[in-house]
Amino acid sequence: MAVFRWGSPLDAFRDMEREMDRVLRSVNQAFEGLRIGRPYPPVNVYERPEEYLITAELPGVRTEDLELSVANGQLVMRGQRVEPGELPPERYRRSERQHGQWERALPLPERVQEELLTADFINGVLTIHLPKAPSAQPRQIPISESAQ
Amino acid sequence: MIRELEPQVPSLAAAVPPPPPERFVCTPPIDIFDNGEGLVLRADLPGVSGDTLELQVQDNKLTLFGRVAEQAPVDAHLVHQEYRVGDYLRSFILSEDVDHERISAKLVNGVLEVTLPRAPQPEPRRIQVKTQ
Repeated sequence: MAVFRWGSPLDAFRDMEREMDRVLRSVNQAFEGLRIGRPYPPVNVYERPEEYLITAELPGVRTEDLELSVANGQLVMRGQRVEPGELPPERYRRSERQHGQWERALPLPERVQEELLTADFINGVLTIHLPKAPSAQPRQIPISESAQ
Repeated sequence: MIRELEPQVPSLAAAVPPPPPERFVCTPPIDIFDNGEGLVLRADLPGVSGDTLELQVQDNKLTLFGRVAEQAPVDAHLVHQEYRVGDYLRSFILSEDVDHERISAKLVNGVLEVTLPRAPQPEPRRIQVKTQ
């Protein structure tokens, strides 16, 4: 029985990757989105006629532990989640929620008025409003006819 | 003292009105710890407010169902997605020693905290053994 097929030696790795994905998916639904290596927090970006919206779910983060800054076309989000009344690990029956510090930098879309950025934080959902800069009028380019 | 219920339980449909099928339902991450007087359960439910959270104890089953509001206005269209917005559903079986009458809950910044105090244990009663 051939273990590897000569034509595509990477098939075995692909199979293994697929199998690993399947196993990881079935481990626990609760860990969805928290796999190692993904930037935290995950964000969604929406476009509206007048603005862009960036949303992130940050449950349990206090407003004073959240910091947003804009520089050089980058939006930097920084924060931490502190658990009230930290207990020794043996008191825990389940521990699925993540704690600690995080930081994420996002490139801003073009033509955003950086100085007019606003954000609100309601029920653990952060929404950042990025107003679009008034778009430049299309400029007509004259075409000159040159004699042959 | 607390045991998680599998999500596919037919009787759950009676306890909580099922969400319309097009809505995405997810399992929120939780912590459960013993604070000495009972158990405390914390669940991350971002986007859920006090009005949209249903917490039920029926018989010995604790069910939490949180409905989330849309995170963006109707005229917004998604251009980049890293997470899905969905309602939260999870249920647990409580053991006999939870004092159902004193269960309390609070929701702060999208985190639900449910306190499940232990029922006071009755004093051990000495039984006289008669001998003949």
